[in-house]
Amino acid sequence: MDRGRTWAIALRIVRQFRRDPRTLALIIVVPALVLSLVGYLLRSTENSISLAVVDQTSAPGSMLTLLERALGQAGWGLRVVPTEEEALAAVKAGDVDGAVILRAADSDGTTVPKVELVLEGSNPQKSQAVRRLVSQVIMLAGLSSLTQPPESPPVGEGAAGQVEALYVHGGPQFDTVDFQAPPLIGFFAFFFVFLLTAVSFLRERTGGTLERLMVTPARRAEVVLGYMLGFGVLAVVQAVIILLVALLVLDINYVGNLGLVFLLVITLTVAAVNLGIFLSTFARNELQAIQFIPLVIVPQGLLSGVVWSIESMPRWLQAVAQAMPLTYSNHRRLGV
Amino acid sequence: METAVITEGVAKSFGPVQAVRGVTLNVGAGLTYGLLGPSGCGKTTLIRLILGTLQPSRGRVSVWGHPVPSRAVLSETGYMPQDTGLYLGLSARENVAFFARLYGRRGQGDVEQVLELMELSDRADSPVNTLSGGMQRRVSLACALVHQPRLLLLDEPTVGVDPRLRAAFWSHFHALNEAGTTIIVSSHVMDEAARCHRLMLMRDGLLLSEGTPDELQRAVGARSLEEAFLIYAEARSGQG
Repeated sequence: MDRGRTWAIALRIVRQFRRDPRTLALIIVVPALVLSLVGYLLRSTENSISLAVVDQTSAPGSMLTLLERALGQAGWGLRVVPTEEEALAAVKAGDVDGAVILRAADSDGTTVPKVELVLEGSNPQKSQAVRRLVSQVIMLAGLSSLTQPPESPPVGEGAAGQVEALYVHGGPQFDTVDFQAPPLIGFFAFFFVFLLTAVSFLRERTGGTLERLMVTPARRAEVVLGYMLGFGVLAVVQAVIILLVALLVLDINYVGNLGLVFLLVITLTVAAVNLGIFLSTFARNELQAIQFIPLVIVPQGLLSGVVWSIESMPRWLQAVAQAMPLTYSNHRRLGV
Repeated sequence: METAVITEGVAKSFGPVQAVRGVTLNVGAGLTYGLLGPSGCGKTTLIRLILGTLQPSRGRVSVWGHPVPSRAVLSETGYMPQDTGLYLGLSARENVAFFARLYGRRGQGDVEQVLELMELSDRADSPVNTLSGGMQRRVSLACALVHQPRLLLLDEPTVGVDPRLRAAFWSHFHALNEAGTTIIVSSHVMDEAARCHRLMLMRDGLLLSEGTPDELQRAVGARSLEEAFLIYAEARSGQG
């Protein structure tokens, strides 16, 4: 192995992109744009939520205050209505996205106080957000009830079994954007490195430079390593920009090790470069190389857990998902 | 005289197409060998066999006594492909410097020298795709020359090159011969043939004849090389 030759190839790739501002913009601007858009959309759906609340508890106000505070933090609308019927009517009419009914414990004490959640349900995203928030409130109430004297009624049961939502990473302040941003970084890194490697390697072949490369003393391993190094630099630059957008523009909650994020980007780059070089040998021109996107990128995007969690997939699809590099990276990314 | 390239009955087929059908050659060092024949007669395939980028179906190739492909031989060989084979987005200097580094030449001196030689110094920082066709050919030749190879393989280097530049190319080739470089140059232009020390006439993947331009012409009593080539080709099809 000759390090000079590997560097020469890496340097050449970086230079080629520096002289190609349009592609450079594509790598940097597009992910930032898409990520901002996704973040904005996810948050704005959640922002427009309003709930109706009926308080039937024996000690009115205690649970309601918690709920009010949580909703106020999320910027949601809250309307306190006197009766259950009125709340349900509001949900049916579409005036509110859901109703929370705080039920009292039976007078004989056989049942505990209960939180019932009625969802409008036509927008799964909103439903999910409501469920998440209400279960957080129940948890908070449940936790606080532990510190209260025993005669105070314990709350925290019911509400469609939401209480089991114990956060390992993050916690109540994590929202959907926080969950989706890290896999998106991996997705973009993979997408662009794969596409650009496939196209540049194809150009090497059709432009005759690959033949020239092959008659120099450079070994194949040096060429591939040079490619990885060159694209690795680009991918890391991209990751830095995306992370900055995520942290500064989207205000994502961030806990974890930055170094680990870059390590993941680098391992992804290695996978994407190799896959790109491999598949580019099956393409005769650039259009054919681009045709590999639906084959390689879209299934990975769908199956790797960016949008749907792998556990909820049919078994055979789970097996396919396990074979994809992005799955692993997303797994680890969520771990970071 | 030292022998640069030896091929022994080398042949190459691509599926049913026999591109080269048993060529035996002996290329002496320090001379310019012209590989002559119509398009599609197997010149490019033969050059690739000598480079070692193609594996022969039959026969053997050795360069400086080493069987190809050999990394040691490659580091002393320069190759200018038929298509320019350059990174179009990079400047002339970046292209030449890139190939220089692949050949282990770190210094900028070699690069500047060869750019000077090819009269490219003025436009060295322009991206290659903004240069004229003739300039691109010069950049391509510069990339093949930058590591001062002992053996230079040029695949139709003067296609689409104006007469003034073509003359310049040939004087470079002769200067390189003086310095001890062996050159194999393919062409389908007969008037270039007279400038070679020795000629190899090819047709349909076969070597028709080999010798100095004078020898080839005199042997068949032709008045021009073009006529000589036609006579050799006729004789071949008469046999076949």
